[in-house]
Amino acid sequence: MSKRLFVGVFENEQDTLAAVRASRQRGFKIVDVYAPYAVHGLEEAMGLAPSRLPWIVFALGLLGAGLKVWFEFWTTAIDWPVNVGGKPFNSLPAFIPVTFEVMVLFAAVGAVLSFFFVCRLFPGKRTLLPVIGVTDDRFALVLEETDSRFEPTEVQKMFETLHAIHVEEQITAEPE
Amino acid sequence: MADAVLTLRPPLIDGDKSIAQVTHDVCAPMEARPSGLWWLALAASSSLLLLGALAIGYQIAVGVGTWGLNRTIGWAFDITNFVFWIGIGHAGTLISAVLFLFRQRWRTSVNRAAEAMTIFAVMCAGIFPIIHTGRPWFAYWLFPYPNTRGSLWVNFRSPLVWDCFAISTYFTVSAMFWFIGLLPDLATIRDRATAKWRRRLAGILSLGWNGSYRGWQRYEVVYLLLAGLGTPLVISVHTIVSWDFATSVLPGWHATLFPPYFVAGAIFSGMSMVLTLMIIARKLMRLEDYITLRHIDRMAKLVILTSCIVGLSYATEFFIALYSGSSYEQFVFLNRAMGPMFWAYWTMVSCNLLIPQLLWFRRIRAYVPAVFVISIFVNIGMWFERFVIIVTSLSRDFLPSNWFHYAPTRIEIATLMGSFGLFFTLFLLFCRFVPVIAVAEVKGVLKYGISHEEGDS
Amino acid sequence: MSSGNKHYWKALEEKEGGPEFLMDAAQDLVERGPRQFGRRDFLKAAGFTVGVAFATGCSRAPLQKAIPLLSQPEEIVPGRSLFYASTCSGCNAGCGVLAKVRDGRPIKLEGNPEHPFSQGGLCATGQASILGLYDSHRLQHPLKQGNKTDWEVADREILTHLASIRSQHGAVRFLTGTITSPSVLAAMQEFLKSFSDSRHVAYDPLSNSAILDAYQQTHGTRLLPHFHFEKAEVIASFDADFLGTWISPVEFTTAYRAGRNLEEKRVSYHVQFEPRMSLTGSKADRRFAVAPCDFGVLLTHLTRLVAKRAGISLDWAEPDASSVPRNCLDELADRLWRARGRSLVVCGSQAIQEQVLANYLNHLLGNYGAAIELDNPSLQAQGNDQDLESLIAELQTGKVDTLFVYGVNPAFDLPGDRWREALSKVPLLVSFSQRMDETASLAGYVVPEPHFLQSWNDTEAVSGIASISQPTVHPFAETRSLLETLSVWNGKSNSGYELLRDFWRARVFPRQKKEPNFDAFWDRSVHDGYAEVAPAVVKTKPFDLRAVQPILRSSANANSLALVLYPTLSMLDGRNAYNPWLHELPDPISKVTWDNYASLSPATAKKLGVNNGDIIRIDASAKNLKQLELPAYIQPGQHDDVVAVALGYGSRLSSRFAKVGPQWIDALLSVGENGLVGQNAASYLELKDGALRYASTQVALSRTEKQRELACTQIHNTLNVPEKLRPAGSGPRSIVQETTLAAFLKDPHSGVEDDEEKEDLWPTDHPYAGPRWGMVIDLNACTGCSSCVIACQVENNIPVVGRDEVRRNREMHWMRIDRYYSESDDGQVDVAHQPLMCQQCENAPCETVCPVLATVHSEDGLNQQVYNRCVGTRYCANNCPYKGRRFNWFNYSHDDHLQNLVLNPDVTVRSRGVMEKCTFCVQRIQEAKIEAKRRGENVVDGAVQTACQQSCPAHAIYFGDLNDPNSRVSKMMQNPRRYRVLEELNVRPAVGYLTVVRNRDQESKEEQHG
Repeated sequence: MSKRLFVGVFENEQDTLAAVRASRQRGFKIVDVYAPYAVHGLEEAMGLAPSRLPWIVFALGLLGAGLKVWFEFWTTAIDWPVNVGGKPFNSLPAFIPVTFEVMVLFAAVGAVLSFFFVCRLFPGKRTLLPVIGVTDDRFALVLEETDSRFEPTEVQKMFETLHAIHVEEQITAEPE
Repeated sequence: MADAVLTLRPPLIDGDKSIAQVTHDVCAPMEARPSGLWWLALAASSSLLLLGALAIGYQIAVGVGTWGLNRTIGWAFDITNFVFWIGIGHAGTLISAVLFLFRQRWRTSVNRAAEAMTIFAVMCAGIFPIIHTGRPWFAYWLFPYPNTRGSLWVNFRSPLVWDCFAISTYFTVSAMFWFIGLLPDLATIRDRATAKWRRRLAGILSLGWNGSYRGWQRYEVVYLLLAGLGTPLVISVHTIVSWDFATSVLPGWHATLFPPYFVAGAIFSGMSMVLTLMIIARKLMRLEDYITLRHIDRMAKLVILTSCIVGLSYATEFFIALYSGSSYEQFVFLNRAMGPMFWAYWTMVSCNLLIPQLLWFRRIRAYVPAVFVISIFVNIGMWFERFVIIVTSLSRDFLPSNWFHYAPTRIEIATLMGSFGLFFTLFLLFCRFVPVIAVAEVKGVLKYGISHEEGDS
Repeated sequence: MSSGNKHYWKALEEKEGGPEFLMDAAQDLVERGPRQFGRRDFLKAAGFTVGVAFATGCSRAPLQKAIPLLSQPEEIVPGRSLFYASTCSGCNAGCGVLAKVRDGRPIKLEGNPEHPFSQGGLCATGQASILGLYDSHRLQHPLKQGNKTDWEVADREILTHLASIRSQHGAVRFLTGTITSPSVLAAMQEFLKSFSDSRHVAYDPLSNSAILDAYQQTHGTRLLPHFHFEKAEVIASFDADFLGTWISPVEFTTAYRAGRNLEEKRVSYHVQFEPRMSLTGSKADRRFAVAPCDFGVLLTHLTRLVAKRAGISLDWAEPDASSVPRNCLDELADRLWRARGRSLVVCGSQAIQEQVLANYLNHLLGNYGAAIELDNPSLQAQGNDQDLESLIAELQTGKVDTLFVYGVNPAFDLPGDRWREALSKVPLLVSFSQRMDETASLAGYVVPEPHFLQSWNDTEAVSGIASISQPTVHPFAETRSLLETLSVWNGKSNSGYELLRDFWRARVFPRQKKEPNFDAFWDRSVHDGYAEVAPAVVKTKPFDLRAVQPILRSSANANSLALVLYPTLSMLDGRNAYNPWLHELPDPISKVTWDNYASLSPATAKKLGVNNGDIIRIDASAKNLKQLELPAYIQPGQHDDVVAVALGYGSRLSSRFAKVGPQWIDALLSVGENGLVGQNAASYLELKDGALRYASTQVALSRTEKQRELACTQIHNTLNVPEKLRPAGSGPRSIVQETTLAAFLKDPHSGVEDDEEKEDLWPTDHPYAGPRWGMVIDLNACTGCSSCVIACQVENNIPVVGRDEVRRNREMHWMRIDRYYSESDDGQVDVAHQPLMCQQCENAPCETVCPVLATVHSEDGLNQQVYNRCVGTRYCANNCPYKGRRFNWFNYSHDDHLQNLVLNPDVTVRSRGVMEKCTFCVQRIQEAKIEAKRRGENVVDGAVQTACQQSCPAHAIYFGDLNDPNSRVSKMMQNPRRYRVLEELNVRPAVGYLTVVRNRDQESKEEQHG
């Protein structure tokens, strides 16, 4: 089914923050906020749950480290043990540096990939901007009509009082 | 709240820019035709690059014998250059990761360029471990991959293997970090692009970023995570590089001091290289409002700090040698300071320890040309530091019968110049095609130090 | 190589079988080109392919099917070596050798352990002479006026010429070096008999003629006595370099070492008087630098002192004061007198009067019959310089119609211009030279000899020991041995084999009683390589005192520089100028390669204001000789009034080395401006009062502005670090540890520093179950003669890198001999030689740092280098405290196919970019292991001999299993003198060293090296 969206465009972060707070008081459903940079305080204002990425990264890091220690041990002590400079076959202390590097590698690559995944970012993706300029100097607050109690004119008024420079109504085939 | 405190500080960005201005200031130069100065610089650096390529080609075709090495001195320019470039790289990560963790907002206007520098420096560094081998076409044997030799793995006790992992991890992580930081700016370029090709290219690279705040939220987290991983990484990388020497038995190499000593040195050289580049870039790209005297001042202070750490390390080396009671150790250091290669040692000391002390004076820190010159000196000094450590220690070790001297050949010098050629070529291209300043981040700190009233008016 | 699987010739057919088979093989293999084979096949085949292909003008035959031999000769097992006993012809010493023949290809010479006087040792020249066999510049056919001809033509034309000479009673002269071959001498006599005016003139470019002349005067017979250094408890040597180049160095070294046996506490006392630092001087317990002009006076003084002790009053006038302090001479006289009958005075001088005095000293001391044997004299130097003097007179008057030159190169090794011009006067000059040397280039006919490994010959170097040289490979080209040539010219053309056998039946067999049956005698002689027979009877008169005359005045005016010409043990008289191995062998004292130079004492150099490499001009305008410009080399221990220059350099044979070594943009030529290696100083030789003089020319020195950096393998010469860099309270580095005899007798352990076992982090991690190979080197025995260096080079296919690379400190020798100077308590210069190779450390620093596991430890304790895994990071070499590793900086050329035949098929030829080093001759270890396994036993002690150990004339190297408590090497490891280099690093080397013990009285040997 189609959706009815109201986009309020602002030109600085204070107004945007105010608008977000106001919309939530009035119980409007905030689809999303678009900003040219990471506006601080928006997270609380929108009441978003904290991201779970750190946990994924932590797990991946451990995995990488574990695999590497095992691999080093297996290659030098099990698969083909050779006497190198009279050192023991299993020279664990010498394995630490590489283990650390691989841990970092796994964690970092994992972090980035999972970020792309959860944000659905991939090359050639069709970009959907609520209004032109949100990547330059515009801030956009997008509200969605949820039920019949939703009053477009009220939204309009609210946006204007919070010095929105421009308000528009969009009908989209499906939500983004 | 926080803003109140910040009002007491001077603004990070001069000229009271509006958000749109920032976008324009950074993107306009890229969309305009390049200046003649830029072409000149590119011509110079790329011809250096060509020279280096020829030298390396000849050396690979004929043999490592075309370098000045001998049976006593197995490493000289090759590994010196390697450590030098890796060191340069570290400042980039420091600025983007460490300063980020320390919430040093001033970093925003330099971190993009600094990270680019890191990547290019690591590229330059990466060349040398490969070409320094006797059989470069087999250099890939340093990686453990299943093979038909038994299968024969690598020696995980060897610092060179540690290097392989450290350098490749470091390069990967730096590159990803850089790209993540670039993502929103690519979107900006895409959306303001007039040229079709630029829009398409930026479109692909920006992965469809649209500034949605749900994206921004996770973006912040990832950025934080990468910074958190990058910080120990940068320290581990140079620690491992220093272990190439510290794990050996050679007097002058065999020192537990090396990891902190090398990391400090790396940041030291990196910072001065950042200064060198920034001072050039802000002139070339007219970015004085973004890379302000305050930035230069702060970086200069970091240079003094690290310079003092390095100086302390020099002193410690001598003390430990004395304290160890080993006549071999003691000799190596006397030989550095007073032996046949004393000139290299004293070049190092004066460039790394004495000259940077000038930066204690605020007036000198505020006088850009002076800072520029000093940063050049530091670069030279730090190259010599590695040279002194590697060559003088090797040239006179345990058995006097083995003592010998070293002089570089034309090929070696050309190779060193070539690496600079590669570095500057890449950097110039970067200046043209990538926003030298992290637009999104700068926008975020635009209001720092400016009270809202001014901001709103 | 293990004595267990050594194969000598035993039966006739076998011995026939050798060359016969080889020829078949040659015929059969010449069908194929060398390239279409695998390496092993190539090496097996190439011997003859290239050899014969070479003979047929290097034309590669089109590829055809390889046809295997129809009948495999039973002795030839592919991959197994045969050892043929033979006699070395590197010089006149005639040491016994075993030629190691692999798949029909001689690849190495080893000393024959059973040989009476060389006893298994072999010198550098001997070791390197195998390369001469595969020298592609050797003459391949007779030459007429420098153009190719064949034997028929040459023989015909020479014989017709000789016929006319006979008819006109023309003068025929045969000019040779010392000929130790009785069969050749006989053939030559027979040949010369057929002319009415003919004479055989023998001279030695490194002449000892004065010794023989002196014995003519004192004992009535012109002979060279046989010296027994092992029997001498006190040795006084007057400029006789008997460990280096004098008469029979290998034999003397072996004997000398036997006379200095610390285990049995009998150690000879050796005093050396010499103008320059010689190898012998470097081993002396007491050494005095004496100007050549002072030797006479010095000998006179010593004679008087000894005579006094003998109770003989000599009515001699008071001689000049000698340069050697009186008390030192007194002490020496005392020691000599106390050891009378067990002492030895040797003199290298070419002044007959001085030699006579030396004889008189030996006479007074009763050394005849003890350390000096006259009954079975040495025949190793028979040259007669008086004959030479008369010959050149004859030549200059144009009296000589035909001159045959064999084994010498008068146009090069005698004052050149004079001789060239004299030789050019001869209507017919015939040279037998193997190479196109200076004389051959003047000769009307050159009738080339084959290499001594390609022909039958015999040698009687010391009267009573007749040894045989047998061919181990068929001549590659149209060469013919002197024996055969003479027999052709004498009208009967037998094969060398028949000639030699007949001669032995007639002349040698009767001289022995043990073996009644000639065939058996012959076979045994061929098998052993020698036969002990009754020495030719020499009648010596009782010592003739009238001959003895004092020398009261020093021969030269004061403060003038004497030019001392000396042979190096690599070039000798220049006969080795073709040999790249010997050019690259560092001089044992100066460590300089690829050049000769003018050595000066530090004081003289200072006075002249020259440093190493400054070119100085040597000027003897008084004798209107052309000036000589040579780079200076500062030589500690040399007399201040002496400038020393090596002979044997600047030979045209060395012109081939211009482009030896890698060629790249910065490469320099290995030759000098004259296009040759070094410069020939022979023009400064003097032939006066019946002897060739090497040290009598007075010269003036002046420095030029020119420079020539010498290619020296060691640029820091002491164990002391430079004064201003010396850490407070640190002495010389204890790399070479030494003591005095007095201290040693008190405590055998003296001089050894820090030898307690260090704590090991992982003691039980890698137990060595089977054998664990180790080596001990006795620094006291080692003379630095460097034969081990060449032996290692031959055995391990070590490339020659050329002068420029050596100059860049990139020589490839796996084994080097470090030489350190130090100052003894009495202000003399002491020298220590230290052979150093990979120490095969148990906790090897090189292994830990190799990223690709290209160097790892074997379970029998070897530090292995895996060439094909090596990537060439050079990290291992950087981390090696001994710098025992060598890196292939370039692809060292192996383009000379003939020369490649000397390569040892058991050892990989390393490619560019890989690290290499000593492996304790792992290929020999494996061979012995396999052999032992085949026999189902353990490797017995001594079954494995490393190349260096085998060739060491001083038997200074012990090698074997350290896990076997009874092996010699583990016993030596227990020796109280044993220490390890850089023990404190606890890398646990498998190589131990035994301290140097100098025969001195003072116990405080607080060596102040420097």
